[in-house]
Amino acid sequence: MSFKNILENFSYYRRDAEDGGHHEYDHRFGMTIDLDICTGCNSCSTACYAENNLAVVGKERFEKGQAMHWMRVERYWDNIEGDYAEEGAKFLPMLCQNCGAATCEPVCPVAATYHTPDGLNAQVYNRCIGSRYCSNNCPFRVRYFNFWSYYEDSWPEPLNMQLNPDLSVRDKGVMEKCTFCIQRIRTAKDKAQREERVMADGDVVTACAQACPTGAIVFGDTMDPDSRVSKLWEKHQVHRGPFLQKKDKTNEEIRGYRIFDELNVDPSILYLERVRDTEV
Amino acid sequence: MSQVIEDKVIDEKLEWSRINADVIASMQAPRKAYWITVFVCLTMFLCAIAAEIYQYKMGLGAAGLNNPHMWDMYIATFVFWIGMSHAGTLLSAILHIIHAQWRKPIYRFAEAMTTFSLMTAGFFPMIHLGRVWNLYWVLPYVSDRGIWPNFRSPLVWDAFAISTYLSSSALFLFIGMIPDMAILRDHTTGWRKKLYGILCLGWRGDDRQWRNFRRTYMLLACFLIPLAISVHSIVSSDFAMSIMPGWHVTTFPPYFVAGALYSGCAAIMTLFVCLRYFFRMEEYMTLNIMEKTTKLTFAIAMVWTYLNLIEFSATWYGHNIYDKEVLIAKATGPYAGVFWTMIFCGMVVPFTLCFQKLRRHMPTMFVISILLNLGMYVERWMIVAPTLAQAHSPHQWDVLWGSVIQWAIVFGSFGWFGLLFLVFVKLFPCVSMYEVKELCFHLKHEIHEEELAKKHAATKAAGKAEEGSGGRAPGTPGLEGA
Amino acid sequence: MSVKVNRRKFLKMLGWGGAGTALTGCDLPTTVTLEEGKEEVVSYLMPEEYAIPGIGVWYASTCTQCEAGCGLHGRVREGRVLKVEGNPDSPVNHGKSCMMGQSTVQSHYNPDRITSPMMRKGSTLQSVSWDEAMSALTSKIGPDSGVKGDRVGMITGTVSGHQAVIIDELLAQVGSKNHYVHEVINTSVWSSVCRDMLGDEMPKLNYDKAGVILSFGADFLGTWISPVHNMGEYAKFRKGARGSLIQVEPKMTLTGGNADLWIPAKPGTEGALALGIANFIIERGWNAVDVPSSIAKTLNQYTLTAVEKVTGVPVNKIKRIASMLTERAPSLVIAGASTENHENGYDAVASVMLLNLIMGNIGKTIEASAKFPEKALRAKQGNTKDLLLLAKALKDNKLDVLFTYNTNPAFTAPAVLQVSEGLSSVGFKVAFSMFPDETTLQADLVLPIHSGMEDWGTHVPAYQPDTSSVLSLQQPLMEPIHKETRGFGDIMLSMLKLRNKNFGDFPDYYSYLQTAVANMPADVTGSVEGASKDIWSNVLQKGIVKAKASANALTPKLVDMKFKVKHDNSGYPMHLVPSARLGLWDGRHANIPWLQEFPDQIAKVVWGSWAELHPKKASELGVKNGDYVRVTSASGSIEAQVYIHKGIHPDAVSVPMGQGHDEFGRYAKGRGVNPLKILNPLMERRTGELATHATRVKVTNAHKHEKLVHLGGSETQVGRKFVKTISVDQLRRTEGEA
Repeated sequence: MSFKNILENFSYYRRDAEDGGHHEYDHRFGMTIDLDICTGCNSCSTACYAENNLAVVGKERFEKGQAMHWMRVERYWDNIEGDYAEEGAKFLPMLCQNCGAATCEPVCPVAATYHTPDGLNAQVYNRCIGSRYCSNNCPFRVRYFNFWSYYEDSWPEPLNMQLNPDLSVRDKGVMEKCTFCIQRIRTAKDKAQREERVMADGDVVTACAQACPTGAIVFGDTMDPDSRVSKLWEKHQVHRGPFLQKKDKTNEEIRGYRIFDELNVDPSILYLERVRDTEV
Repeated sequence: MSQVIEDKVIDEKLEWSRINADVIASMQAPRKAYWITVFVCLTMFLCAIAAEIYQYKMGLGAAGLNNPHMWDMYIATFVFWIGMSHAGTLLSAILHIIHAQWRKPIYRFAEAMTTFSLMTAGFFPMIHLGRVWNLYWVLPYVSDRGIWPNFRSPLVWDAFAISTYLSSSALFLFIGMIPDMAILRDHTTGWRKKLYGILCLGWRGDDRQWRNFRRTYMLLACFLIPLAISVHSIVSSDFAMSIMPGWHVTTFPPYFVAGALYSGCAAIMTLFVCLRYFFRMEEYMTLNIMEKTTKLTFAIAMVWTYLNLIEFSATWYGHNIYDKEVLIAKATGPYAGVFWTMIFCGMVVPFTLCFQKLRRHMPTMFVISILLNLGMYVERWMIVAPTLAQAHSPHQWDVLWGSVIQWAIVFGSFGWFGLLFLVFVKLFPCVSMYEVKELCFHLKHEIHEEELAKKHAATKAAGKAEEGSGGRAPGTPGLEGA
Repeated sequence: MSVKVNRRKFLKMLGWGGAGTALTGCDLPTTVTLEEGKEEVVSYLMPEEYAIPGIGVWYASTCTQCEAGCGLHGRVREGRVLKVEGNPDSPVNHGKSCMMGQSTVQSHYNPDRITSPMMRKGSTLQSVSWDEAMSALTSKIGPDSGVKGDRVGMITGTVSGHQAVIIDELLAQVGSKNHYVHEVINTSVWSSVCRDMLGDEMPKLNYDKAGVILSFGADFLGTWISPVHNMGEYAKFRKGARGSLIQVEPKMTLTGGNADLWIPAKPGTEGALALGIANFIIERGWNAVDVPSSIAKTLNQYTLTAVEKVTGVPVNKIKRIASMLTERAPSLVIAGASTENHENGYDAVASVMLLNLIMGNIGKTIEASAKFPEKALRAKQGNTKDLLLLAKALKDNKLDVLFTYNTNPAFTAPAVLQVSEGLSSVGFKVAFSMFPDETTLQADLVLPIHSGMEDWGTHVPAYQPDTSSVLSLQQPLMEPIHKETRGFGDIMLSMLKLRNKNFGDFPDYYSYLQTAVANMPADVTGSVEGASKDIWSNVLQKGIVKAKASANALTPKLVDMKFKVKHDNSGYPMHLVPSARLGLWDGRHANIPWLQEFPDQIAKVVWGSWAELHPKKASELGVKNGDYVRVTSASGSIEAQVYIHKGIHPDAVSVPMGQGHDEFGRYAKGRGVNPLKILNPLMERRTGELATHATRVKVTNAHKHEKLVHLGGSETQVGRKFVKTISVDQLRRTEGEA
């Protein structure tokens, strides 16, 4: 240890702290969720539990609002008038948007959540002290806190054998959230590196996207112009960046939009509007 | 109490030896009521300790927190105690530098209150942390891994602000007590004599010491005022720096400072009545002082009310849908009862302070001060909870009333504060002896001067001679301020 | 951390060399490893080709969570299966999976698995050794036992592939014909109608080719036939020419939630609506296929106003549906549980099928399906008729020996059928079971079987979605977790060996299966590359065998329809809808903690039962969300918390199936209520199926309140635009057709 080290390299450490985030990205992973074909079936959520060692909290804790679904499927009824919900229910898969200008990042006192050069909003479990400010400052409310030591009773033997060894099981007092399956991204990156090539579209797919029976979720690198995801962003005229974007006027009704774009958080998830046949 | 002192800050005829005797009497031989209060406070504190041990072991779920309500009463109570701590600074530092003499008999306990409420407040961020054992990570300690806290986070500012404020206000309290320590050293025996002997730092009351003391005290007072304001501004930025509706408010820093002073003054009123009653300090904590305090409270209450109304109207006319929703939900939603309690206690009750009869009626003042405190407590709650209950994402709307554990800890904090205060009043003088003497002296001097002026309207030279013959009593300040 | 990870269990499966396909990689291993049971540290310098610590290896298998037969890929690391994904080669699910498929692992690793054979001694089940269990089995059904063939029965869920063959073989050897195949969630009325009217029990449905899908209660996105496949097809249907979905049902299912138009018809009157639409179409002359005058005559009485009166669906809606079917032809009209499972279910489904016929959908959106060439391997689909037959047999005391496998009649049978009580009259009940469910705990001999991830098997999906039919191979993804469990096939084989020496050639089910698959006729295995020797390993790699299809055309034929709506004024004004959901299914997955924790897609309630009511009805009863109501039928009553929404007919109360287990492990036991228990013993008139949706009930306020544990704070978006909706017109303006 050394105080000396710190003094000598102060400018280096200082710069790191000051930068806060990365402005030169290697990748910017993003997602597109087509609400038109999302059926709200919960497969994504289940796949997420299986992949990311999410704890089952049980009825009592679910009742208290302490459930840990990184990927939750919200269901809205918007039929205020009329006797029946004739236009069906509205489903919205909600997960961490890995915002480019994430509101959770600046407020963490210990920088446990930060931006990676992959454009991910990373959460370092070991660094987290549990101040929970990040969750408070998240307009999407997609950060989940370990209110209890869930591992103690979530995986009675031999359920624990299912736990994914690629990532940790979190103990009480730690914030967690969707990581865009960072373990899969790392694996794919390592593999690409070993094979001495650049990561290609499709090398990495998140658990939710892989499971989605309708293929409503598309995952990929929004910086790679050939990826499916960036083509969709292109098509729907939404671009990365924190500021509200004006679309080409002739195409006002192109389906892409980002939730809470007006808050300038630059979400990485592009939702495509649900289409319903009003003629029916 | 005599009629005479009712319109005076203090009876200037008080003998100095009597002041010593009265104050020292308050420090000795606790009566039954004292022990009962200690017992009550201790019980509350122990309940909180038990609750905290349970919560530490089980996790913060024990506090009943959940996804939208990541923060709750702990943060509200933290803000409340921080706010309370502002009164001491106000009375000692601000009133000191503007030479408001009436502060002198009451500033000591106000300062103690500052320190103790900071000591109470300081617990809450710890209780509230998920992994409190890593608390030190918010400090920029030297680490060869080059890991720093995130200086952009208001919570880190909090850590700096509170620790600075706590140490400065403790120092301020201690320095202000040095001459009194010397008096106590001279009037006590046994372990107390030893204790005060150490604490008075070799005070002899000579000229040089007084001069240095004055300078230090003034310097600290000047240092403490901006610090106090910045501390609560920083606490407000815990909320104002976020993007949450109802938190992201530009007027929050002054609003929080006003609220802090408000709740501090209310707490001073409460303690004033208690101390006056229990220690029979009628001659020191006079109605006149109470009246001045209440007037100050009223003024601050109006500032707070004004800022509150500004916040409401800014939200209303700002047309930010989320902000507006939270405001409407506060007034009509599940927390409406609490919200209107806050409005009533914080905005309506202070108008009773307009009436002199009420201002001079101690039991009424006690009740009112408690109401004001309650109003200010729920104000903090109404800042934290409704926003979280109805923020941007309607899917995550929820109402939370907190668990038994949470309430136990919140109530226990009052026990802890009470305990500290109770120990304080028996160990240290809750009325500053030397400053009361000073006050008497000045008053006497003023009256004397007036009389002289009447007697010898033509000749003024005699006044100077009189002043010269005032002499210097032990433990009495020099007259450079006169 | 108390979690002990048994990560040193390495694969020891035989015949696996080169079978796995490594689909993923990780950092190269740098560690040494400990082999299980050995104390010394063994350097992993010469690892098996496929087992590298830290690297997941993927094996193909088949999902056994429902009957759809989706192909799976299981990720295995350090000898443990960690996660499953869909098998992209499978034509059933195309690499996708549903929540039940994903949670296969929790079924496999379930803490409540039965770990040793148990035998009833006195009144309690006690653990015994396999030797003891097998000798008991031999003494009861062996060649020397003197058991009468017709007094031996077996009740299973849907079975197919070699499992079905081996069950058939055993029963044939014993001389029994009593194979009851029972599933509560089934499509047997649909299948009967398809068989009678189209000549194909499971016609292939081309959702993607339909301009409009009109579904009468067929929850094809959730529980109907092959949900994962259907969801993939649904995506195509939405994406291409952007078809519209109209759903008619009393209670909103997942499919209803996704419909463009959701119409609540009075429960049990769906057939009238279908006939009304048909009548209107014929009146207008919009029909693509001519209708015999006899039929047209029958239809005459279904005038718009009459239909409106019966079904409660407004005239303009009926007209609109009719013109949609015409304008956007070809259409696809299907019917599911809430239409099938009434006393008039067959006629209702036939009326629905009539729409397909007159609109000329046959051959366009409904085609003949590919049938697996080996008839014996085809799926035996479960139904509720067999449950009724079993109940009768039990009542008449006709069975001495009963095997149960992969089904739980003691849970799914209505209480009035007294299946549970009847079981006690059976002298010897053998349960092949993974879990201590209600039926298993009533057995005299409990044989713990391997999980779907430990056992071998083959599955032929009943619904063949491709032009070539498919057999899906189930291979173990890891060693059995519990030492004392055995494969179902292995046990069956050892029983077969008692009577038939031919089976003595096979040391285990694995070798039987290997031989059977490798020796399948060329028209079956033609799709698998390589010489016959390599067939097996190729099948292991791919997980599927695509067989040549026998191409039959559909033969549309009209049947008599005597659609009648039953009026019941016996003091039970409401209709009970025992709804099924993707997740807990009929209750077989209630012991999977994930599936308990995942909310119902529509009501979003977790960990319990609830009763869905329309706001109108709820205000009549004076109940709000979370209040308890008592649902009483002539056969019993249940209490559940109310969830109020507008996705249900005011005359219906819906209680989901799946909960209400008396046994079945820590996650299921004592949770919620089972609506199947209070069903009246009504039968579908033509097929003899249990009419699960026909029970009339009354609903009363139980004056009790608890917080309804469900996901989500606000039920609406409160004016926000999270889920933005645009009209098809807008879509076409901006994105163009397709």
